[in-house]
Amino acid sequence: MTSVKTFAWLTLLLPLAGCLINGLGFRLLRGRMPGYVGTAVLLGSFVCAVLMLFALQDLPEERRQVEAVAWEYMTLKGSVDAKLMLLVDPLSVFMTVTITGVSTLIHLYSISYLSGDRGYARYFSYLNFFVFSMLLLILAGSFMILIVGWAFVGAASYLLISYWYRRETATAAGMKAFVINVLGDVGLVLGTFFIFRGTGTLDFLESFERVGDVSSGDLTAGCILLLIGAFAKSAQIPLHTWLPDAMEGPTPVSALIHAATMVTAGVYLIARMWPLFEQAPNAAAVGAIVGCLTLFVSATIGLVVTDLKRIIAYSTMSQIGYMVMAVSSGAYVAGIFHFYTHAFFKALLFMAAGSVIAAMAGVQNIDRMRGFRTAMPFTFGCFVVGGLSLAGVPPFAGFFSKDEVLAYVADRGDWHIALVVVGYVTAFITAVYTFRMIFRVFFGEPSPEARELEDGHLHHADVPTNPVSGEAEDTDVGFPGPEHHIAERALPMRIAMGLLALGAIVAGWIQIPNVTEALDHFLEPTFAESRFHEELHPSDALTFGGMALGAVLSIAGIAVAYLIWMKRPAIATTLRERFRPLHTLFANKWYADEALDRLFVRPGAWFGRFAQHTFERVVVDGLFVGGPVGLVRAGSAAVRSRQSGFLRAYAALMVLGLAGVVLWFLLRA
Amino acid sequence: MKGPSIDWAGLSPVLAVMGGAMIVLLTGLLRSRFVRESLVPLLAIATLATFAGLSIWQWDEGKDIVSAALRVDTFAMYLNCLFAVAGIAAVLLSWRALAPRESAHGEYYSLLLFSIGGMAVLVAAQNTVTLFLGFELLSIPLYVLCATEMRRASSLESGLKYLVIGSVGSATLVYGLALLYGATGSTDFSEMAGILAARGDLARDSLLLGGVALVVVGLAFKASVAPFHQWTPDVYEGAPTPITSFMAVATKAAAFGVLLRMMDVALLPVAEDWGVVLAALAVVSIVVGNVGALGQSSLKRLLAWSSVAQAGYLLAGVVVATRLGVQATVFYLAVYMLMTLAAFAVVVARERETDLGDHVDSVNGLGWTRPWLAWPLTIAMLSLAGLPATGGFIGKISLLEATVDGGWTWLGIAIVLGSAASLAYYLRVIAAMWMRPAPAARAVPALAGGSQELDPPEAPREGGATEGAFAAEHDGHADGDGDRRGHWEVTLVAVVAAIATLAAGIYPDPLFDVARDASESFRALL
Repeated sequence: MTSVKTFAWLTLLLPLAGCLINGLGFRLLRGRMPGYVGTAVLLGSFVCAVLMLFALQDLPEERRQVEAVAWEYMTLKGSVDAKLMLLVDPLSVFMTVTITGVSTLIHLYSISYLSGDRGYARYFSYLNFFVFSMLLLILAGSFMILIVGWAFVGAASYLLISYWYRRETATAAGMKAFVINVLGDVGLVLGTFFIFRGTGTLDFLESFERVGDVSSGDLTAGCILLLIGAFAKSAQIPLHTWLPDAMEGPTPVSALIHAATMVTAGVYLIARMWPLFEQAPNAAAVGAIVGCLTLFVSATIGLVVTDLKRIIAYSTMSQIGYMVMAVSSGAYVAGIFHFYTHAFFKALLFMAAGSVIAAMAGVQNIDRMRGFRTAMPFTFGCFVVGGLSLAGVPPFAGFFSKDEVLAYVADRGDWHIALVVVGYVTAFITAVYTFRMIFRVFFGEPSPEARELEDGHLHHADVPTNPVSGEAEDTDVGFPGPEHHIAERALPMRIAMGLLALGAIVAGWIQIPNVTEALDHFLEPTFAESRFHEELHPSDALTFGGMALGAVLSIAGIAVAYLIWMKRPAIATTLRERFRPLHTLFANKWYADEALDRLFVRPGAWFGRFAQHTFERVVVDGLFVGGPVGLVRAGSAAVRSRQSGFLRAYAALMVLGLAGVVLWFLLRA
Repeated sequence: MKGPSIDWAGLSPVLAVMGGAMIVLLTGLLRSRFVRESLVPLLAIATLATFAGLSIWQWDEGKDIVSAALRVDTFAMYLNCLFAVAGIAAVLLSWRALAPRESAHGEYYSLLLFSIGGMAVLVAAQNTVTLFLGFELLSIPLYVLCATEMRRASSLESGLKYLVIGSVGSATLVYGLALLYGATGSTDFSEMAGILAARGDLARDSLLLGGVALVVVGLAFKASVAPFHQWTPDVYEGAPTPITSFMAVATKAAAFGVLLRMMDVALLPVAEDWGVVLAALAVVSIVVGNVGALGQSSLKRLLAWSSVAQAGYLLAGVVVATRLGVQATVFYLAVYMLMTLAAFAVVVARERETDLGDHVDSVNGLGWTRPWLAWPLTIAMLSLAGLPATGGFIGKISLLEATVDGGWTWLGIAIVLGSAASLAYYLRVIAAMWMRPAPAARAVPALAGGSQELDPPEAPREGGATEGAFAAEHDGHADGDGDRRGHWEVTLVAVVAAIATLAAGIYPDPLFDVARDASESFRALL
């Protein structure tokens, strides 16, 4: 019990220590020291997380929900019970282990990848802070800590996305992410309030026990608000527009934010709050439908986008959609399983993409990439492993988890079947767009950059440009800085990618239907009392039929991609011409940015202008602000004018005050 | 002949600080420069440490000493520790200040210690005579200390003003105490309470009520509660800054200590009468203090006005007359001390480093040039305004809890509105530190101790602003070092106080427990 708690605190505090060491000691840490420090603390955190897992397994099954209270922050009579508290249970431990493990590898990768950057220590300080915030969110034992962690993650993502702060597109993207995330924070806080109103406690486990005290209206409203928080963090429609823009951050940041950590926070939230969502089926249905919508829409966008990192970003949204759909439909273990395999292959894909982008000297457009296969064999291998896993080809990790998600959701029956159909269609699309990337980047006639690399020289652009806007930029901004690093030439990057590639192959084997069900058993204590955990058990026919279908679809997708982009490149153009409206729709990201702009931003701006010019000037400034401000000004002037500096005046006022007080007392006599 | 038995243990804190004051005074007569400038302050610190140690030793005693004239209980010992901390901070801030040099070190530090002795007597006082004795013992050394920068007219003015207005306050208090004695026939607090409780008709007795009114006014004056606050900005501004910081924190703690004891012990049976008055005074203080601070350009005056507002918040804890109120008040006194010390330490540092005195402009750009000063001041300002994760937040929350719990919700609302308004001037200071450019490096006066040849020339910055930003991020050595007359002990006070403020906001449990202990000294309260 105590060892579980100790390890939990260590896991949480080590990244914070790293953040402080790098943040405060940046003048003392020379060369690559900040990178080593940042990676070492994360490795320590990972080790502690694993030890925590073992310590938790030593406890009897019914006691595997450990609350570690550091201290009571504030206990007000009969209202708030704010404690600094962690909840260590199989769910949080599993998430913690995955997050710290993948984050360690991302840190390791960054040691090389960012080594030419001037803000090296700042980078690692932010990165450590991000992981700390994420762990705080995951390990939170009460709504208060959850909210703090939630907000910290938003702030950390802002810092990391706008890390190259002199690149305007990056700062704009950071702001966009932050604003949308704050919208989610508001949802989370308000949702917490609705639930707190009924339960009267902020403690998770107690809240879950007293969920019956919350009126059903409050509960549904609360859960929907929580979902808004989850959607904003997990980039689900309609709060998803920040995620593709967030690719402005350095590539390892994309790997960190969009693979294992931030975007999975929403999935975790829904899984953590299962006792609430099971009592609010309408809210859960909203989650499932939105997840399904997201997974389809973003996959179609992934088909046509030409920016390498953004394709992977849309695929992240799509995969998160699967997870949200799963956990909202009661397939908790399947959702978490998919989170776990996704962490491996998505981090791997981002890292491999980073390596390619470095070889292209910062260019991210796949139209300009060709034939990197021979120039970068290791990167190619990793990309293919990640791609096979993402496409869901057996026996790679993604295959098992995706099919488990779909089988469990299908077992809910009813309208959930429709979701599953969309899921399978998207699985096919996923395979197509994944191999579109692979075939276009790695196959074909080598591009000039690839040829240069084959000759043993890494390409450097004459004039570094912003990959999005195309403007020339100062290399001091960072990447594309004076140095580039590709996996073939940097050992830390190679180790990180190699380990992830291994994970992307074998990670799924912990949960093969009818063979091993390790994860199911491990997470049992968290979901033991869940209705769906009891009920949902897809029949063998459903499971294996689904797996067969998934395998066929993924291989068919790869075949289609091969046909279009390798065999007959003309097909791509023909298809584009034939389905011009559809292509335009996809290429414009289903006009989500425009829709948000028309629906919210412009009316908001119009309303803002109206408010500013008409309402604000007349009513607010004049009446509400003007009045009190005038009053305060007048008061201030009056108070200061009394402050004449003359003793006699002071004494006079004292006597006056004295007379007032005495008079009051004497009047009572 | 056999004398009365004396409880030396109970008396020991007061004896230690008084004895230490004597030793400091006499040591100060030695002529060696080392003795005067280093040994004397060190002795003062040692005395205060002993004082604090003995107070902790007597923590849980809860006994009456000197024929029940003084009471040694957790409450008094807790406040003693606050005085000791404030005193040590004041000694550190004075270490290389002008004031002790002008007035002779021995006198300066011993006056400080005598004043602390007065505070110790005041908060332990159990009858009106010792109360007044402590009150004067605390005040008179401070009148002198305010005037210790003898060659600066404003320092003398400050001392004189404090003396005159202070005398009016003392006169009011002593008159009130006399009327109370007249009405109840007793000088002892608990006897007074017993008589008031037994004789209900006294609650309508004009003699008694007049006495209560005068006592309230006399103590409110010391706590700088509006409308008896007018001396505060003038005296704070004129006095040497280390003394100002000491007055701001220690005098306030002592005044609230005695106010709590007077109101919540002696006058508890007539709480219904004085509750409304104190609540009204609290609201007036919150309004006047916050409004007055708005347009200030002098940091010391700003902090003086803010201390008036803070006195209003603190008064709310007295008004409710519950243990929760006492607990909240003593908790807030401790965090108020920490955050105010941090702020004043930065003011002291900037007064020495710039020519701008205590003007707000003296902290311009501090965030970039002196982060070790900027962060403490930032934390202090945020804490004074009551932002979360600082001690001020927890303190205000517990005051709010006390007011709501005691049925004075509207007073709680006044506190909230006051803190919201106070951000207007606290944030101004923070904005000056982080959002305004640092003033250009001061030209070295040719004949003021430096020489153009010996002083390192200002390194020419190549490449303009972008290079500068780079240098700030990666190579701060150019800015960090160099003689700017930054004194480490001042920075130490600022940093330690700021860290403690944060600690009280993040991990308030220990301080809460101590405050709860202290509040349990008031046995008659709920």
